[in-house]
Amino acid sequence: MKSKICLAVGVFIALISSFLDPAVAFAIDNDECMECHSDDTLARNESEGMKEDLFLDYNKFKYSVHNVNGITCVDCHADIEELNWDNEVPHPTSLAMVNCDGCHEEEGEAYLNSVHKKAGGKGITIPCYACHGYHFVTHLEADSVFERENKFCLKCHNPDNFHEWLPQKDTHFAFVECAVCHAPESPRYISLRFFDLVSKQFLKAKDLLAALDADYDTFMDKLDQDKDGVISLPELEDMIFLLRQKDIRGTFHGELVMELVPTVHHINRGGANRECEQCHNPQSPFFEEVYITLNKDDGTGQRQKVERRVLESYYVNHFYAIGGTRVRYLDKIGLVLIAGGISVVIGHLLVRVATIPARRKRKEKKDEFSI
Amino acid sequence: MEDDKLMYVHPGPVRVWHWVNAVGFIILIITGIQIRFAEMVDWFALEEAIQLHNYVGFVVIAAYGLWVSYYFGTMKIKLYFPNPRTFVPNAIKQLKYYGAGIFRGEPNPHQMTPDNKFNALQKNAYVGIMFVFLPAQMITGLFLWRVKRFENYIDLIGGIKIVSSIHVLLFFFFVAFLFVHIYLATLGHTPWAHFKAMFTGYEEHHGHGASEESAF
Repeated sequence: MKSKICLAVGVFIALISSFLDPAVAFAIDNDECMECHSDDTLARNESEGMKEDLFLDYNKFKYSVHNVNGITCVDCHADIEELNWDNEVPHPTSLAMVNCDGCHEEEGEAYLNSVHKKAGGKGITIPCYACHGYHFVTHLEADSVFERENKFCLKCHNPDNFHEWLPQKDTHFAFVECAVCHAPESPRYISLRFFDLVSKQFLKAKDLLAALDADYDTFMDKLDQDKDGVISLPELEDMIFLLRQKDIRGTFHGELVMELVPTVHHINRGGANRECEQCHNPQSPFFEEVYITLNKDDGTGQRQKVERRVLESYYVNHFYAIGGTRVRYLDKIGLVLIAGGISVVIGHLLVRVATIPARRKRKEKKDEFSI
Repeated sequence: MEDDKLMYVHPGPVRVWHWVNAVGFIILIITGIQIRFAEMVDWFALEEAIQLHNYVGFVVIAAYGLWVSYYFGTMKIKLYFPNPRTFVPNAIKQLKYYGAGIFRGEPNPHQMTPDNKFNALQKNAYVGIMFVFLPAQMITGLFLWRVKRFENYIDLIGGIKIVSSIHVLLFFFFVAFLFVHIYLATLGHTPWAHFKAMFTGYEEHHGHGASEESAF
């Protein structure tokens, strides 16, 4: 009985204190912001005739990763503490720069010593949103190399102007995310996606799952027969077989992408990996982590670990790092071919040497007859 | 030695092609080993090996162009095509010679002349090599040189790994072929006779039927 009274008193105090907390008491709802910022003509005059667009497309914003996670406008624009509707602009017109590091501490720390941050000393400021955008930050896990690069590096950099030393630079750009070489200390993985050879497009994860009579949760149960959490080569073969039974024929495309960890922001001049052997050898750590990526509509991706040996199979025909993901049994065939060639030569030579006396005798006999 | 005579069997363009191709093959094999087995050998930096492999690859393609132009321009290309009526018996004779006759000191059943310089087995082997294997090696090499540029053709073949596998298997074949080719070249009337002829253009004809194996 005593404990119930204590609980009731506690709840009452919590409720009262929540009304007294100014942050809660004056919380500004996104709808209030959108009263003005949904107007697509809303803009502010800047110097030299420039205009700053203040319109925010809520239809796009609502899918942003921040909104999905319940982050409101004033969580980021934290210097707006109240809205005074008596004023023409209900909040200060000059707002502080959004401090992303407030939440993204580790990312901020990794960025601190990066070439992009250091560019600030040269009169350029590259804040987070220069790369990530303002209000429409979405999940990147499901993005391909092409999509990731277009959203980030390629906004400012034209990699074609550099990398003259790099053999097949356009092939590298197509299959390897920039940060794989430019943030070498960050983890990366091979992302495999199933390409449907009939429709000539990547099979959507939901279609792939439907064909396998599975969903995101049962995908591994269905394929991972030995329950070791990794799809082995034979298990992948079974998957291909199941797809063929459903008349789905295709192959896996691979890409080398970054694990989205804070250190990926630590990109430095001269710090890029230029040693080709790092990647182009079968012991390369670059190919240790291999995943089948099952994309979701919200831009997230579910990844399922795959045995590395899959890269050396003919189920991944459209991703090949010379030397690195080579088909090992071709080397054995090669060894047999070369050893066969050498054996024929040595065998023939030995028989020729061994039969020299017989030929000499035969020749002598012939010479005797001819005399 | 009265019946020894010199025959001009290797015209200049063929000799140029042969030696450019030979040196090219050696460099391509060495750099190819470095490229494929970078974790095992350390002869060059991979970057250098790839650059060299690419340059030399184009030299070999150009040399092949010279070979094609010469042989088709002069219509001597018919040297390479076996006569369907005599091919099988001649090939059997030649096989018997290499498998037994040569050990007994019997004469080579094929007598080299400028118009008929290849024996039946050589014709068969070289038609395959010059019209199938070498072009396939050059085309796959070209695709591997610029994967993105040729991606449509690569997709048509079945993907980059298929293209690479064809290139690699042919690479192993050519390495094996090289050993056999060089060995057969020592089977002239002296071990150096055919090598010398491939520089001078002249083969010595011996009435007793010395073997003539390796000339292209």
